[in-house]
Amino acid sequence: MVVVMQEGATEEQIQHVITRLVGMGFDVHRSTGVNHTVLGAVGAPKEVDPRDIELIEGVREVVRISVPYKLASRSFRPLGTVVDLGRGVKIGANEVVVMAGPCAVESREQIFTIAESVSRAGARVLRGGAFKPRSSPYSFQGLGEEALKLLREAADKHGLFVVSEVMDLTQIPMVLDYVDMLQVGARNMQNFNLLRALGNVSKPVLLKRGMSATIEELLLSAEYVLAGGNYKVVLCERGIRTFESYTRNTLDIAAIPVIKKLSHLPIIADPSHGTGRRDKVPPMARAAVAAGADGLLIEVHHCPDAALSDGAQSLYPDQFAQLMAELRIIAPAVGRRLA
Amino acid sequence: MTIDDWRKRIDEIDAKLVELLNQRSRCAAEIGRLKKRQQVPLYQPEREAQIFLNISRRNGGPLSDAALRRVFERIIDEGRSVERQAMGGSEDEKGK
Repeated sequence: MVVVMQEGATEEQIQHVITRLVGMGFDVHRSTGVNHTVLGAVGAPKEVDPRDIELIEGVREVVRISVPYKLASRSFRPLGTVVDLGRGVKIGANEVVVMAGPCAVESREQIFTIAESVSRAGARVLRGGAFKPRSSPYSFQGLGEEALKLLREAADKHGLFVVSEVMDLTQIPMVLDYVDMLQVGARNMQNFNLLRALGNVSKPVLLKRGMSATIEELLLSAEYVLAGGNYKVVLCERGIRTFESYTRNTLDIAAIPVIKKLSHLPIIADPSHGTGRRDKVPPMARAAVAAGADGLLIEVHHCPDAALSDGAQSLYPDQFAQLMAELRIIAPAVGRRLA
Repeated sequence: MTIDDWRKRIDEIDAKLVELLNQRSRCAAEIGRLKKRQQVPLYQPEREAQIFLNISRRNGGPLSDAALRRVFERIIDEGRSVERQAMGGSEDEKGK
């Protein structure tokens, strides 16, 4: 931590800050400049809230050098984490892993039809929601365990893995029985009890960024899972709330290279929620892969107009196949290939 | 004298400085132990101010007072660190 004193800070003010820092356990390196005195504080034994120092009289600003997340930090695993789903499908390795499927599992016919088409187009993971708490309590709420059974069956038939969202603690054992990767939705990103519990499971976790969460908050949420001992965490950028209203959210493509630098965890993008509009999904999917995403999470529906949820952001199967063809060209341009 | 001659001279001075700095830090460690026993706080701004006054009084140049002060700030920083170790950890732990 570096403490910059105000221009003209008095010797008493400087001494007061040093007293506080020394009391907190820091070794202080004082550097008296012509205008500003700078205090380097190193080696604190525990986490310190920079605001405690910033509020002391005479302090201009406090710059934190170390990051509050440890296990999620790139320095913890400089070579990066690879989440191995099995059968050669690895997230965070050279391949870009595409996960596709409907927003919600609606029927056997629906999920089998979609699984068949996304598998044919080259997706390796089947997505689909079983629990769908919607903004309105009167909207379709999902098929629950029945949906998980159908997902598993459809995925197995077409050689796909399954990712599905777990909404709360109590659902973990049931969801674990059917899926290969448990998804934590954007609204649950800071459900710390759920995250802690997922630290104890042996299957990978797909953690979506909250719609108002900073990158640091996302990494701190991942830290909860990692701290429990589950290192199989994949992050997902899915768009954040901004002042722009044309798209449902603003897909923060820049978060991909930023997270690559800050963390060792794989990062994928969800251009479907990121834009909320079908026609904008392929361009953002292409951009995400070009920016270095380790995978994509895309909503596909064989009949979006009849979808019970999020039809407007679901691709038609032929649009999805077209996108996959484009990604096969883009991925090699950035040194990757499609899984 | 050549550059090499001067560098040799600097090396000799550095050797003395290292010896002196270590003598100084041994003193600091002793003070740290006494501070702990007498329950005196680690950071003593008045004493540090006294040191800066002492060195500027003795300063015959060519280093400016400000330059000498910057050098001694680092020496004092390390002295404080040695004292902390001699005191056995942070003082705020004992306050809590």
